[in-house]
Amino acid sequence: MSATVAEPVRGEPSLSLSDRIDDVFDRPASVRSLAVLRLALGPVVLVHLWPFLVDTLAGTTYEDHFWVRWWGFVPEVPGAVQVALVWTGAVAAVGLSLGWRTRLVAPITFVCVAGNLFLSQHHFRHNRAFLLFLLAAVALADSGRVLSLDARRRRARTGTSPGDPGDDLGTVWPLWLLRILAASVYLASGFSKLIDPDWSGGLVLWDRAVRHQHLVRERVPEPIADAVVDLVTARWVHTITSPIAVAMELFIGIAIWFGRTRLAAIWVAIFFHLSIELSASVEVFSLAAIGALVIWATPSTRDRVAVVPDATWVRRLDWLARFDVHEEPGAELRVVDRDGTVHTGGTARWLLWSRLPLVFPFVAVAHALRRVRP
Amino acid sequence: MPASATPDAPHSSGVEQHATGAGAAGSERIVRPRWRARLVRGFVAVVLVGHAVLLVRGYADPHKFFAFQPFNESSTWRADIVRVTADGRRVPIEEPWPGGYDWDELVRWGVLERPGTMRHAYSGLGTSLDFLDDALDWVADHTPEDDETLYLEATTEAYRNTRGPEVRVYRSELREEAR
Repeated sequence: MSATVAEPVRGEPSLSLSDRIDDVFDRPASVRSLAVLRLALGPVVLVHLWPFLVDTLAGTTYEDHFWVRWWGFVPEVPGAVQVALVWTGAVAAVGLSLGWRTRLVAPITFVCVAGNLFLSQHHFRHNRAFLLFLLAAVALADSGRVLSLDARRRRARTGTSPGDPGDDLGTVWPLWLLRILAASVYLASGFSKLIDPDWSGGLVLWDRAVRHQHLVRERVPEPIADAVVDLVTARWVHTITSPIAVAMELFIGIAIWFGRTRLAAIWVAIFFHLSIELSASVEVFSLAAIGALVIWATPSTRDRVAVVPDATWVRRLDWLARFDVHEEPGAELRVVDRDGTVHTGGTARWLLWSRLPLVFPFVAVAHALRRVRP
Repeated sequence: MPASATPDAPHSSGVEQHATGAGAAGSERIVRPRWRARLVRGFVAVVLVGHAVLLVRGYADPHKFFAFQPFNESSTWRADIVRVTADGRRVPIEEPWPGGYDWDELVRWGVLERPGTMRHAYSGLGTSLDFLDDALDWVADHTPEDDETLYLEATTEAYRNTRGPEVRVYRSELREEAR
């Protein structure tokens, strides 16, 4: 509940824009967030490739049915190439998640997924383009430095142990590039809807709801089905919710850049993607986009100290290594923030649990509820 | 850019190394050859400019490739597709087709199957109708057993965000097999 400043805040000397850009390229920082993203991308790629794998098992490739080449000057690619791409991509995706020869399998995964997408224009989906961004960033960064078999092998060779200082340091310009691309996806989507009166005025969502009301009726339990259908097909509902949806996208794309609003933006993003998943078919977009939220963790590790009576669960859930965890049986929970502020009680609990990716969505809701209650 | 620091290299690459040096006081920096530093910066600039171009281009591109404008419309469309034979007959594709062809089997993509049924315009009207136009050409080109169809013609009826109908006619290229 209390917070005391143990030492003055250390301000960094103000840097020019040029110095800041140089920092992005030249200052090593933690690639752990990209490593966590790498872990998630393996299953995402497998889910994405699954329909193509099934087709190839049935002896069907893209050229057996309607397809459109991307560029007229590119010769027709044999269907066997697609078979090689999707199966190699699937195997590489497993290696990607395990962090086995990451420097090799990450580019292979990217090339296979991209190659399959660029076989035909009708393979294009926005969620697949977003997946390519994620795979490219993971391939360009040294994302196998931690949470990988590569890291385990390196530690065995060098005799170091997990958590050694610098074990996750690498070049992070791919992380910053991915942040710009990811934020721009929300902004581009939100802006295009904002300037479209049919969208921001609610017509688009209302018409879709009216035409797909049978799906709502199928999914909602009988006693409340009629009421729910009446609600989701009411024009006024979409007049209100459509601008809110647009505002959410724009809020995520902007607020996620600022420390004070980042946690709120991430929680809104989780809510946003879950609501899309429930109401539309977006393939791997929800999985990929929620997984990609880890890239917004500050790329530094163990720069907060957590003193806990039992460190078991904190260590298990602290995938991003946000805390230098000290176990002191019987001790009161205490968190020392980056600026030296010592937090105890509820504030410490919030700071600790809100930085653990798996529990963040739930902790954020509980925290928000506690704040609005008198 | 530090140029002469002694690299203490936890990094795996033999080219890219960490060194203590310039920038924020006492901070570690990554030392790269000058050409590589420029290459990295150039690559990032090209990616960002290309991304921006695609985002803007999306407002003119019916497919909105890489423009990230999902769920942009609630438009609907349907099409009556006929085979126009060399002797001028107009045969709906639902009727028997020389060679035993079937439209749905040929396209095998839900977006274009059962074209006579009014359906949601996948990724917007522009995308759906542009793919339909491409599909007419593809089907005309991949039905070698059909020696009577001169071209395929689709008459589409579309409603753009409930407004319409917009009626358009698309034709495939002429087929050599029926000439």
